[in-house]
Amino acid sequence: MIGGYFEDLESRLERILERRGDRANPRQIYAYETARLGRRLFSGREKMAWCGLLVPFEILSVMDVVSGFVEFVGGELALMDRIGPLLATAETAGYGSDICGFHRGVLGASIEGLMPMPDFLIGTSGPCVGGLAVLENLATTFNRDFFLLEVPQTDTPEAVHYLTKQLRAMVDFISAHTGAPLDMDRLREALVLTNQARELLLEVFDLAKSVPSPASANDLPNFGFVLPLLLGTEAAVRIAEAFRDHYQTRVAKGLSGVPGELLRLMWLQNRIQFQEPLVRMLENEYQASIVVDEFNDILWDPIDLDDPLPDLARRMISIPFTRRAEQRVAQLRRLAEAYQVDGAINPCHWGCRQGTGARGLVSEGLKQIGVPVLNLEVDCADPRNFAEGQLRTRLEAFVELLSNRPSPWQDQ
Amino acid sequence: MHYLGIDIGSLSCDAVVIDQSGAILSATVIPTGARNREAIERAMKEVLAMGGLTENDIEAMVSTGYGRDRVEQRLTAVTEITCHARGIRALLPETRVLVDIGGQDSKAIFLDDQGRVVEFAMNDKCAAGTGRFLEAMSRALEVDIEQLSDLDLGSTGRLSLSSMCTVFAESEVVSLIAEGAEVNEIVSGLNRAIASRIQTMVKRIAPNLDGLAVSMSGGVAQNAGVVRALSGTLGCDISVPQKPDTVGALGAALIARDRSQTA
Repeated sequence: MIGGYFEDLESRLERILERRGDRANPRQIYAYETARLGRRLFSGREKMAWCGLLVPFEILSVMDVVSGFVEFVGGELALMDRIGPLLATAETAGYGSDICGFHRGVLGASIEGLMPMPDFLIGTSGPCVGGLAVLENLATTFNRDFFLLEVPQTDTPEAVHYLTKQLRAMVDFISAHTGAPLDMDRLREALVLTNQARELLLEVFDLAKSVPSPASANDLPNFGFVLPLLLGTEAAVRIAEAFRDHYQTRVAKGLSGVPGELLRLMWLQNRIQFQEPLVRMLENEYQASIVVDEFNDILWDPIDLDDPLPDLARRMISIPFTRRAEQRVAQLRRLAEAYQVDGAINPCHWGCRQGTGARGLVSEGLKQIGVPVLNLEVDCADPRNFAEGQLRTRLEAFVELLSNRPSPWQDQ
Repeated sequence: MHYLGIDIGSLSCDAVVIDQSGAILSATVIPTGARNREAIERAMKEVLAMGGLTENDIEAMVSTGYGRDRVEQRLTAVTEITCHARGIRALLPETRVLVDIGGQDSKAIFLDDQGRVVEFAMNDKCAAGTGRFLEAMSRALEVDIEQLSDLDLGSTGRLSLSSMCTVFAESEVVSLIAEGAEVNEIVSGLNRAIASRIQTMVKRIAPNLDGLAVSMSGGVAQNAGVVRALSGTLGCDISVPQKPDTVGALGAALIARDRSQTA
């Protein structure tokens, strides 16, 4: 079912891209490349690994292993409106209904025999232990080897050294399963593409900061999570380039992603993954534009092509969400200022202790710089618990509140 | 020139007509029932008739409440948070913290000294502690909901309810009656349970209430027992306007007037 969905989506998008040629929409290119990855993960024709979110996917890619994090599958199941019965399956099997819907969906899919068997699994201790538990669960179900990367929460030379050593061990682990060593020349070639994508992404995010912003809410949702799956490949460069060109054109013409942009919003953590009308409502009825998502930023330096592992380790450590709340709050404040947002929306994804545990600190930290935060209560992957009317009232009240106050950046 | 505000809640549909100065000309509260479009129509007819007006006399209308998008003739729909804040500002201008408990929502709203909404908190996930909750409890106690208001008087306040889930609390009340607990003790326990739930929302938006005027609106504000319990829990006086259930509709009417003037 899941593989078939990706296959259909890939071929439909391929036809659209062929038809549109140079006029292809960057979102379609992005959707095509992620569908292609999904199809490959489920094809059973390649070596495959289920991984944690922070794994440097370039390494697996150049070692001819197609890989992805399990939350990608949970998110896609929600997007394709197939997650409900799988969530029920997981709950019937005894998993609590208040654990993360992304993970519950994958557990349900695994119980139903819908998750393909990996050749091995690589977990990361961050950003969440729930995802790690799902990976361990899959490792047990499929009786496959599991490798754990313990990602430190501090950016010190010792921490980088510690993680670099683990990355070396990870390479050995992968080699043991593929029967081939890591080809450093291929890795270097891949990292040239990573660095190219990085430069383009810096431009994309910089352009998105323009007032008005060329970005609309559905351009880059969960981009900071999903694009790293494609780093080290032409696909990531192609996607980043398409968005850069699209935004450059829009900015040059003075066009905004949301016509008549009145309010600029920041979305925290992950988006609501299933189809819902509220983000569109914000844009159409209130000209409120989500100009930035928490993870859409580049906080790592270009990767050193001659000694890449320490830089890849640094990149893994650089994500503030996986570090102390203080660092996450500081990053959110930086983004709020850089994008001049009027307010922030925190979905407070149910079951996500990592995401919601710092909710009060995040609200307070942004409030101190004049940016109000709306905390919702929603499982971003479970449409069965979606109280549209209740959420609509909260969102509308929030934008009414923002509309009746001056922008925190008006004097700058 | 007249302006109409209509608040379509889950339990009641409230309509208010004001004149240019903001003075209330007429107000009505009717049960929403299962068909909210019919309730809207009836409330509008009633409030216009009470004021001796026709639809042609209405310059602008704003709707609010959970059914706010169902009103076809509206100028615009505005959330109940903004409308209650606007309404209470007109009635009790010193208000800085407003608690509104409606049929299925409870809200704590923090206002700045100009009456603008600065922050708000709402009940999440369930409707415990709202009008629906009290409706279910009055059913379990076999008393009219209006009677609940003073039934807590004379209680010792020693009885506490262990659950705030509407279904579980209802069966707990039934069990307490069967065990011979006094009705005033049960009602006092219910009121304190609601107050405790509301307190968390109030403290979220206003950790320190010193020097801040607290008011209450919405249908549940007519229940003096709940107001007493909340006042005790928060450790402050709570002001309640004369017709707390029409504060949202009044706010909507005032917003209709303001927007009409600036249009």
